[in-house]
Amino acid sequence: MIVVRVVQTGDVDALVSLAKETGPGLTTFKPDRDALAARIERTRRTLAGEAAPGEAGYFFVMEDSKTGDIAGVCGIESQVGLEQPFYNYRVSTVVHASQELGVWTRMSALNISHDLTGYAEVCSLFLSPRYRTGGVGGLLSRSRFMFIAQFRERFPERICAELRGHFDEDGTSPFWRAVGSHFYQIDFNAADYLSSHGRKSFLAELMPRYPVYVDLLPQDAQDAVGLTHRDTLPARKMLEAEGLRYQNHVDIFDAGPVLECHVNDLRTVRESVVVPVAIGVPDAQGDHPPTSLVSNTSLTDFRVGVAPGVVANGSFVLSADDAVALDVKAGDPVRVLPLKVKQG
Amino acid sequence: MLFVRPGKLTDLDALAHMARTAQPVLHSLPHDRAALEARVALSEDSFRADVDFAGEEFYLFVLEDSSTGKLLGTASIVAAAGYSEPFYAFRNDALIHASRELHVNRKIHALTMSHELTGKSRLAGFYVDPSLRGDAAAHLISRARMMYIAANRRRFTPEVFTLLLGVSDGNGASPFWEAVGRKFFGRDFTDVDIASGGRSRTFIAEVMPAYPIYVPLLPEAAQRVLGEPNETALLAYDIHLEEGFEPDRFVDIFDAGPVLTAQVDRIACVKHGTERVVREASHQQGDVAYMVSTGSGESFRCVLADLPGDTADAPLAGDVRAALGAKDGDVVRCVPLHRRDDEDLKGDAA
Repeated sequence: MIVVRVVQTGDVDALVSLAKETGPGLTTFKPDRDALAARIERTRRTLAGEAAPGEAGYFFVMEDSKTGDIAGVCGIESQVGLEQPFYNYRVSTVVHASQELGVWTRMSALNISHDLTGYAEVCSLFLSPRYRTGGVGGLLSRSRFMFIAQFRERFPERICAELRGHFDEDGTSPFWRAVGSHFYQIDFNAADYLSSHGRKSFLAELMPRYPVYVDLLPQDAQDAVGLTHRDTLPARKMLEAEGLRYQNHVDIFDAGPVLECHVNDLRTVRESVVVPVAIGVPDAQGDHPPTSLVSNTSLTDFRVGVAPGVVANGSFVLSADDAVALDVKAGDPVRVLPLKVKQG
Repeated sequence: MLFVRPGKLTDLDALAHMARTAQPVLHSLPHDRAALEARVALSEDSFRADVDFAGEEFYLFVLEDSSTGKLLGTASIVAAAGYSEPFYAFRNDALIHASRELHVNRKIHALTMSHELTGKSRLAGFYVDPSLRGDAAAHLISRARMMYIAANRRRFTPEVFTLLLGVSDGNGASPFWEAVGRKFFGRDFTDVDIASGGRSRTFIAEVMPAYPIYVPLLPEAAQRVLGEPNETALLAYDIHLEEGFEPDRFVDIFDAGPVLTAQVDRIACVKHGTERVVREASHQQGDVAYMVSTGSGESFRCVLADLPGDTADAPLAGDVRAALGAKDGDVVRCVPLHRRDDEDLKGDAA
């Protein structure tokens, strides 16, 4: 069984080698042993209740329980922007109208905002190219919502996810070219690196303090506002199926969309149920047998995977192997979310 | 000979003709006959009025050929720009974006809608008949206004300005308008420019940007014309510079044409102006071109005449005296038309 579980101290070597599989795009997951060890420690402190609100965050790994191969990671920040400001542009609407002239025009303006301060954030998702088949990406992304559903009291009212913005064929961002490059005067990757490593003071110094009129920008930059990177479209679909929506916040560098919603409105929070587990032979009949996301309820050894079957007669039947992989015994509570056909 | 005098209601036909001919549109001379008549009447009242500080007065000047009686040019002064409504211009501010950590330090310009020019005296409505050769007549009608201001300081503000036409392409399209104004108005520059009748109408507040516009984010073509005069305005630009005006940090809100400003204390007509006593002469004496003016109200006249430099009197020939309406013993204001080289040097040293 492929499981997603909370990261453990012993995972650091595996994470360093997994991080070597990332390309230049992902700045939050680099083969930097110290940074990865610090992130594991931060997760441990958070689980132990030792982390300050601004520091609290969780990191998860995806593991093949048969081989012990670690093939993906993902994270949740409990509350963004409590230590360093969390910057976005809010895309606002500006209307100019004159009855005298019979003029009515509408345009968008970008306003630097801290609107998302205190939101939880799902982030840092990376899946090894070796595993990008068979729907494991969905498991990796959704595992975080299972964790949030299980430990709802550990999270605030709202949640968000930042998606990569649009890049041209040559790998450059038209929005950065038209806006960011004039203000920050360093290259995109350098700005992104500094920002994602908590060195954000340059933003306050260099960012546009006044709203930026979108309609005055070159057309390709206008088009990029709120546009998702081609490679990130599947992630966007998944997050939207979960209930997150674009609500006029975009990234300050590439204008990629931020999706957001109330935590209580997450599909997983609304629809998952906790039932006792039974060990046996799962009911997996037909050509497309139903499957479910199933997690244990342990905070420090949280595990979630995809198992055949659905809740029936008030319990969920797991195979003996899957029960071991999820570290549950007969009668233990499990959280179950039925997956829609073809989405498992 | 050519001379400048205040405009009168009897000039209405000639003024209407100039208003129709002038390209671009003269906001100070409405096409509508009744409105034009009201403007001229306001000017007559303004020249006559006893004024202690700049208000809603409007001063219209015309350039007349004394031999034919034909009007060949016009220019005006608005005593207080935007007297009843704010006068708008873009102020071009430099914002410093610096980060010590990143070794970055840059000036970023941003255009902010500004009312700062409101209430200042504004030179406007400059037009010279295209048949006039050379630029002496243009200097005369344009700078006669400064001669009038020099003689009537109380009627105007200590700082004065003028707004010159910005750059447009062969089809009359302004690159700045295309990049900025069109996005807000959704229509052609010429439509709105005429409708605005100046830069102080309510719809400007309703339609133009409330937030500053970052210059580096605008298309190159729009950035290039910022504060640049139209080629048809180059002569006016040079005349104002010669008078002592300087490009300021303001540009026009529609076409980004330059705003030139001057402290009245420092303009040539004030700094280099001297009062001389008229002496009858049978012919021109001296070889330095001067602007010579007399009178303060409706009797204001201004001409060009060659005078000797550095004398206390002004020997003037009969036709000049007639154009000025001045006789032997009258006091006239005299200012060299062009600054001498040694004055330039003194200016630089100061």
